[in-house]
Amino acid sequence: MTDAEDRALIERIARRDRVAFETFFGMHGSGVHRFVRDLVRDDGLAEELTSDVMVEVWRSAGKFGGRSRVRTWVFGIAHHKAIDALRRRRTPSVPLDELLGVPSGDESPEDAALRAADGRRLEAALASLSADHRAVLELTFVGGFSQKEIAEIVDCPVATVKTRAFYAKQRLRDALATAEPLR
Amino acid sequence: MKHEIAELLPFYANETLDAADRARVEAELAICASCTAELDELRALSGALLTRAADASDGSTAASRALDAALARINTTPVAAATTTLRTAWWGTPARYAAAAALVVGFSGAALAAWHAREVASNAQPAAVAGSARAGDATLVYRVTPGPNTAKVQVRAAAPLAAASNATTSQAKEAAPPQSVAQQHRLAKKARLELIVRNVEDALKAAQRTVRNAGGEVASLADSSPYTGGAVHDASLQVEVPADRLDDTLDHLGLLGTVQNRAIDAEDVDATIVDEEARLRNLRRAEADLRALMDKGGKVADILSVQRNLSDVRGQIEQLDAQHVHDLHRVATSTIAITFTEDRPTGTPAKPGPSARIDGAWHGGLNALADTAVALLSAIVWWVAYSPVPLAFAALAYGATRAISRLRAIAP
Repeated sequence: MTDAEDRALIERIARRDRVAFETFFGMHGSGVHRFVRDLVRDDGLAEELTSDVMVEVWRSAGKFGGRSRVRTWVFGIAHHKAIDALRRRRTPSVPLDELLGVPSGDESPEDAALRAADGRRLEAALASLSADHRAVLELTFVGGFSQKEIAEIVDCPVATVKTRAFYAKQRLRDALATAEPLR
Repeated sequence: MKHEIAELLPFYANETLDAADRARVEAELAICASCTAELDELRALSGALLTRAADASDGSTAASRALDAALARINTTPVAAATTTLRTAWWGTPARYAAAAALVVGFSGAALAAWHAREVASNAQPAAVAGSARAGDATLVYRVTPGPNTAKVQVRAAAPLAAASNATTSQAKEAAPPQSVAQQHRLAKKARLELIVRNVEDALKAAQRTVRNAGGEVASLADSSPYTGGAVHDASLQVEVPADRLDDTLDHLGLLGTVQNRAIDAEDVDATIVDEEARLRNLRRAEADLRALMDKGGKVADILSVQRNLSDVRGQIEQLDAQHVHDLHRVATSTIAITFTEDRPTGTPAKPGPSARIDGAWHGGLNALADTAVALLSAIVWWVAYSPVPLAFAALAYGATRAISRLRAIAP
C-alpha cells in the first residue's frame, strides 16, 4: 500500500469512515501489533496497546499534518503508547515462549556468519536487548524506515538513531554469540 | 572501517539512504573488506528478523482482535471524539462564535415563539393549552391548568411503556437458555443483511476481510458497476461462516453501513440428520450381511443376485452419506446473503414548474408582508403599553429642571 493510498484512507477516517478505518488497519494492524509486542514483550498488553493505537488514529486522524508518511505517524503513536506502558509497568518482562519456526537450512556464508538460523536463539538474544534497541532494529529491518523517520517515530535526534542502530546490532550479535546453542 | 560508515550501513541495507550517503557508503564498500563483512551480517540479520516477523502467524489474529476491540470502542465514543476535534481544530474559535450566534438567534426565536404562544393562549381555552407544557415553561406567563384530558393522556402514554417493559422481560426470559436449544436441535441458519453503504467497493472488500477473519469464505459475488449517471451502484455477496461465528460476523458486517434489513432463518435439520444416521446404520448392516453371503459362496445365479443387491445398497449408502455430510455442513456453517447499496438517491427530486414557482413567490411575498405588518403593529402596541415608564422618567426630568430653574430665579 502506497503512502498516497494511506493518506486517502486517513482523510476518510478523519471524516469518520469506519470502512476506511477497517481497511487501514487490515493493512497495517499486524505491523503495528508486531512492533508493539516486540517492545513490551507481552502478548496481552500488546493487543491492548494495538487497540489503543487504532483508537488514537481514529480520534486524531483529523490532526494528521501530512508532514511525514502516514506509516511513520502511526508507528510514532505506537512507540509512544508502548514506551508509556513500559514506564508504567516496570516489572520484569515476560519472554515470549512461542515456538518460532526454524528458517531454511541452506546455510549461505552470510547466515553462517551470523548463525541466527535458530529462531529461538534469535528470540532469546532479542529479549536480552533494551526496548530502545529492539525498537530501532524492528523499525530498520522489518518496518523499512529511514533514519529520519525512525528519529520521528521514537522522538529523538537522527544522530541518536544512527548510534542506537549501530549498538543494537552489536549487542544482538554479542547476544547471539553467547546464547546457548539449542540441542 | 570508519565509524560514520558503520552507522550508515544498517540504512544502506534497508535501502533508505539518500543518494549522497549511498554514494559514500558504496565508495567505502569498494575498498573496505570489513565493511562488506559488516553489510553481509546486517543483511543476514535483516533476513532473520523478516523471517521471524513472517513466522509470527498469530500476529494477524491478535491484530484483528485489537481491531475489533478498537471498533467497539469507537462505536461507543463518537461524540467525545467529535468534541476533541472541535476543541483543537484551527477553526475552533470561529466555530464557538458561530455557536454563540446560533444560541442568540435561537433564543430570540424562542422569545418570539413565546410571544406568539401568549397571543394564542389569550384566545384559546385553558384546557386546550394544557397539552403544550413546554411552551408554558418557556414563557412563564400563563398558568397551565391540568384538565381531565391531561391525566388521560399521561395514562395512555404510560400504558405502552409498561407493556414494552413487560415484553422485554418476557423476551429476556425466553432468550435465557439459547445454548441448550442449540444443543438439542441442530439448526441450519441462513441470514440476510441489506446494507446502505457510502462506497460499495470498499464495503465489499471490508466484508470479505471480515468473513475471512471469521474463518468463512465467499460463495458468490455479484457486483454491478454502473456506468450510466443515474444508476446506483449495488452488489450482492453470499458467504459461508462457521455457525458459531454467525452473530459476531453479522455484527461486524452491520458496521460497514446502515443496516436496512437483517433477518436470520433457522431450519431445524435435527430430525433429518437423525433419520439419515439411522438409515445409514441399517444400510451398512445390510451391506455387511450381503458381503457375508457373498463370502459363503454357492450357485453362480445366487452370487450374481447377491452382488446386484450389494451394489444397490452401496449406491444408496453413498447417496445418503453425501446428503448426510451436506446436512452436517449446513449445521456447521451458516450462509449470509449480503446486499450493498450505494448511499445515493436514485434520481434528483422533481423541480416545480415555473407557474408553481411564481405562485410560491407570490404567496411567500404576501406572507412576508403580513408578517412585517404584524411585527410593526406589535411594536407600536408594545411601545404604547410600555410608554408609562419613559413618560414617568420624562415627567421626573421635567419636574427636576423646573425646580432647579425656580431655585435659580429665587436666588439673587
